[in-house]
Amino acid sequence: MKSFIPREVETLWTLFTAPAVWALHFLVCYVAAAIYCAKPGFLGLGFLDLRWLLGGLTFIALAFIVLAGYLAWRQWGFGSGDPPHDEPTRDDRKLFQGFATLLLCGLSFVAVIYTAIPLIFLAECQS
Amino acid sequence: MTGKLGPLLPQDQREAQEKRLRDVWETPSGWRYWTSVNNSEIGLWYGCTAFIFMLFAGVLALLIRLQLAVPDNTFLSANFFNQAFTLHGTVMMFLFAVPIFEAVAIFLLPSMLGARELPFPRLSAFGFWSFAIGGVFVCGSIFFGAAPNSGWFMYPPLATDKEQTGIGADIWLLGLSFIEVASIAAAVELIVGIMKCRAPGMRVNMMPLFAWYLLIVAGMILFAFPPLIAGDLLFEMQRMFDWPFFDAERGGDPLLWQHLFWIFGHPEVYIIFLPAIALMAMIVPTFSQRPIVGYSWIVLAAVGTGFLSFGLWVHHMFTTGLPQISLAFFSAASEAVVIPTGVQIFVFIATMLAGRVIFSVPMLFGAGALAIFIIGGLTGVMVALVPFDWQAHDTYFVVAHLHYVLIGGMLFPVTAGIYYFYPFFNGKKLSDAWGKIAFWLMFVGFNVAFFPMHFAGLRGMPRRVFTYPAEMGWDWFNLISTVGAFVFAAGFLIVVADVVRPKTRQAPAKPNPWNAGTMEWLNQHEESWGIRSIPIIKSRYPLWDQPDLRKNIEDGRYYLPDAETGHRETLVTSVLDGAPQQVLRVGGSSYVTMIAAFLLGGVFIALTYEWWWTTIICAIGTLIAILYWLWTGTAQIPEAEMRDAGLGERFPLYVSGPASVGWWAMFITMVGDGTAFASLIFGYFFYWTIHDDFTGGQVGPGWQWPLAAAALFVIAWGCMLLARFANTRNLASTMRLSIAVSLLLTIAGIAAGLMGPYQHAMEPTLHVYPATVWILAIWTSTHGAVALIMQLYCLARSYAGYLTADYDQDLCNVVLYWHFMVFTAVVTYLTIGLFPELR
Amino acid sequence: MNVERLAGAANRSRKVIYHFCPFSLAICLLVLSSCSGVQSALDPAGREADAVATLFWVMVAGGGLIWLCVMGAFLFAGRFKTQPLTERRAGGIIVFGGVAFPVVVLAGLIAYAGWLMPAMRPWFAGEGEGLRRIEITAEQYWWRVRYLDDKGQVLRESANEVFMPVDERVLFVLKAKDVIHSFWIPSLGGKMDAIPGRVNNLQLEATKTGSYRGVCAEFCGTAHALMAFTVEVLEKQAFEDWLRPKASSTPVSAAQTPDAGGLDAFLKNGCGACHAIDGTQAQGAIGPNLTGFGTRPTVAAGTLPNTTGHLIRFIKTPDLIKPGVNMPSYNMLLQAEVEAISLYLKGLK
Repeated sequence: MKSFIPREVETLWTLFTAPAVWALHFLVCYVAAAIYCAKPGFLGLGFLDLRWLLGGLTFIALAFIVLAGYLAWRQWGFGSGDPPHDEPTRDDRKLFQGFATLLLCGLSFVAVIYTAIPLIFLAECQS
Repeated sequence: MTGKLGPLLPQDQREAQEKRLRDVWETPSGWRYWTSVNNSEIGLWYGCTAFIFMLFAGVLALLIRLQLAVPDNTFLSANFFNQAFTLHGTVMMFLFAVPIFEAVAIFLLPSMLGARELPFPRLSAFGFWSFAIGGVFVCGSIFFGAAPNSGWFMYPPLATDKEQTGIGADIWLLGLSFIEVASIAAAVELIVGIMKCRAPGMRVNMMPLFAWYLLIVAGMILFAFPPLIAGDLLFEMQRMFDWPFFDAERGGDPLLWQHLFWIFGHPEVYIIFLPAIALMAMIVPTFSQRPIVGYSWIVLAAVGTGFLSFGLWVHHMFTTGLPQISLAFFSAASEAVVIPTGVQIFVFIATMLAGRVIFSVPMLFGAGALAIFIIGGLTGVMVALVPFDWQAHDTYFVVAHLHYVLIGGMLFPVTAGIYYFYPFFNGKKLSDAWGKIAFWLMFVGFNVAFFPMHFAGLRGMPRRVFTYPAEMGWDWFNLISTVGAFVFAAGFLIVVADVVRPKTRQAPAKPNPWNAGTMEWLNQHEESWGIRSIPIIKSRYPLWDQPDLRKNIEDGRYYLPDAETGHRETLVTSVLDGAPQQVLRVGGSSYVTMIAAFLLGGVFIALTYEWWWTTIICAIGTLIAILYWLWTGTAQIPEAEMRDAGLGERFPLYVSGPASVGWWAMFITMVGDGTAFASLIFGYFFYWTIHDDFTGGQVGPGWQWPLAAAALFVIAWGCMLLARFANTRNLASTMRLSIAVSLLLTIAGIAAGLMGPYQHAMEPTLHVYPATVWILAIWTSTHGAVALIMQLYCLARSYAGYLTADYDQDLCNVVLYWHFMVFTAVVTYLTIGLFPELR
Repeated sequence: MNVERLAGAANRSRKVIYHFCPFSLAICLLVLSSCSGVQSALDPAGREADAVATLFWVMVAGGGLIWLCVMGAFLFAGRFKTQPLTERRAGGIIVFGGVAFPVVVLAGLIAYAGWLMPAMRPWFAGEGEGLRRIEITAEQYWWRVRYLDDKGQVLRESANEVFMPVDERVLFVLKAKDVIHSFWIPSLGGKMDAIPGRVNNLQLEATKTGSYRGVCAEFCGTAHALMAFTVEVLEKQAFEDWLRPKASSTPVSAAQTPDAGGLDAFLKNGCGACHAIDGTQAQGAIGPNLTGFGTRPTVAAGTLPNTTGHLIRFIKTPDLIKPGVNMPSYNMLLQAEVEAISLYLKGLK
């Protein structure tokens, strides 16, 4: 993995990876359910199929977040140093980015699971 | 920690420097004062205007409370009551809560970041004037009985009914669209300012938390406001030209408006809440006398809230009959957003636990904010649960909930901020004694007013009722609420009185009266240059950790201590590490911003009354004003390539492409524009989902013309890329030729795009399908027309010698626009051309 | 069935509320007095309202506890602690209070709500399920109520009053004629919007007989505040009797009413263009159906008690009683005519 993803990612954008995965997962869940319920039988699926598909998507999303979390953890030096990471150095800036990204991965992980909970209980399109 | 430091110049040289700085940054006097663009002036006007609107809306609230004090009251007529509550909500949200944060940000951010100015001061001024004009227009309507009267949410088909809503709905739609322009302008200003204008050495791990919050909020504005602008567009097309977007009989659907409105409306709550909590994040460390505990956690909270808040909008639509599974997704996200919100509160508590707390008036308001906001948050957890919301929705329970959230999460922290930052603004403190009285009146009054509403609501009292029968048992609740509301208002009046009372005899406070650690307390409020010299930052709390910082700054021993070039200049630094990159020249006092804002205001106001000629004249005037502004104020070729910035370092005065602030401004604006476009595309597919045959049996635009249009725009875009390439090779004539060819192709593309629906005689008033096709084609064509103007501008700049191989900002920015343009065109024409064939 | 009776229902109270009051005694009393009523979500008389009220009180108790803990921590940190904590320990409070605790509690709440939703409003496959159907059409500013049979035929039409049987799930089919309204009977359960161009379904099951009150919950124009209706929950047999009156008493004919002159005035002045009265020539479908009007508890959709005096006022100046109402003013009629019409309507059984 190290060969594919360089250790030095010099950008602020990585911070938003995990929340973006959450957003994508959320959007797909919502749109898929909305289209399914508005046009029953769309693409020949049943509701159970839809739940399994979205469940699978949830696992993929969680895997992505875990991967992003691992990279963030690595950027954070595997927790070698404690916060606050407030020294005026490039290293501390990177540690801060790693730690903040890791926290966001955690939040996104929980949020994706929350989004998936309704799939357990709701079996039909009733309003 | 000492670091780099310039020489200490003799007194007379320093005074000469100061005089030059003062002259360059001088605020005009007399009536030309209003042409000022200084962030301290604009921030002040912005804040005062927002507060005046707030007091106005507060008076409306008191009228509402008087009417509801007793059952079967006849104090207000039903119609006036409906106007009053509509305007109360509208003004508080659009003219107070959002603008006040823009005001505070414009006012404080440069000082916090150690910058002289934000990168686009004239844009701030333009935003302020737009806001003020639009606000007066919207508020003034009630004095003519013409205020909007269908709720701040403007649900069609009630609000699209011209007979029942009169001109009020148009005033709402157009007045607020105009104000949204100001918000997006502020978002551009803040994002670029925070990313690129921090003091050297202020890495992202050292930014003041206020800046982190504002960065996220500005980003949220870019994605939250444009859907409402798109919705406003559809809405006005229905009201003015009878295009049936929300008319169920002709294939439209009232729910589309609810989606677009709440995609804006819910993030807006967090756009209001985060900046206020950002103030708390500055206040709490100061009064705990230690750095914040959990800086990264705050970043987590801000970013997390920013994202999650876009997954909540349907919780305003839990009773519209959407499938339960959809509701449940949004319920889950609504609960998830509690986590980052809770983290912020615990960060404050942790910071206080680890510090030695001084309990002053700002902290008192902070404590009140917390006590109130947590109740609002807990009721928020309740209403986010779908089954409970089925009962609570649209009742006084929700009225109580939202006021607990907004007053606890916004008004109390802002009041804390007023007490905290007042010395920053004029060097004197507000009265402690009056502050405590005001606090207790506000705190007690608020709870007396709003706590009973929870029970009135669950006892069955719906929102927005102008009267209620006596036998329902709501009378006591309402009477208590009314009394509380007046106590609350009295408390706030004390704050206002304390702020405006003359303080000439009061002794000035110390320069850093609270012993705060952040940069803004270096401010010399009597000077308008922002900061005497731009320091190198080495701590999150430089005033605590960098000894002699104030003295060295005021002695001019850091960057840009002089204004010998006679321009307003500030330093641009890199995004992550705050390494200095450029000396940026910013615009000074000017009429053009005000004139442009007034003319644009004219466009919107004339549209309201459907005075077409005035609209056209004002629109042309606005265009000319903006072109003049750009021509004379942006991408100026400097007299020298490099500028000595002090400390023996030299930086370029002119950069282009992604290194320049202008490029980022264009990028950010176009992201917002792209969001509005995405909302329209969402509308197209929304109608597809709700109908078996979304074309309603109407003819489409065919695939030939749309595909031709898409191809023409792609080739035109290619020509623009070629033009930029030729320019870097110093091939001026090739560049001009490419632009000219691209210009012709664009004209052809616009024509081809409109030909599809035109040739198939699509009649937009018959059914929503032709209306959506037309609106997409018109949207893209309008963007094509803007592209044309930009191409002509580039040609003119090139012939005038302002656009050369080395000085190519204009061309870079226009090519960036073209990236978005070609995306818009391709998506539009593939959608309207191919989707009906494919389905 | 009149307003006094409706108000009388307000005197019932629920003692259980005592146990959950989180705040001071004063607030307890306030809460207590607040819960009962003909239109109170906290005085449930339906399955859904019952579940939601329980959920509410549990959340109030939990929320009150959380509020006390957080404010206690805040005050302790701000005023009462003697020694500052280390940064590490303070950080632990963020992890526990800000993350661990809410993550678990919220997951539980989401799961509970996810289970509760389909339990309260189960999957409804379509017309074949044999649920009793009542079609409600919300109009500015009143409710058209139609009782449908299995085939969707209208058994009986009325306005601003809903009759339903106890202990039976009833399907309300919600439509809107002009703007968005929302149908809400707090005592029985949650609300559902009626949206032009859409048909929404709402299932409610009453568990106690009695009189209740419902309102429009979505702002729908000038007289939004004056758009209520009464709900009568009857025993099953009583409901059937009401729904299908014995042949002898129907149709209500003009001859059976006490004042035939009122009907003449009613017809002569064109009232029948908008209003229908079964068994007469009045067959208008624009305004509320007035068949059996005399038994309705209110005039003008829950605005005033149904007395001849109020009827006279409403016929003469409807806009004063209900601003924005679509019914035109009949102030130009002779007083005697208006009185006759009112007496006639009041007499309709």
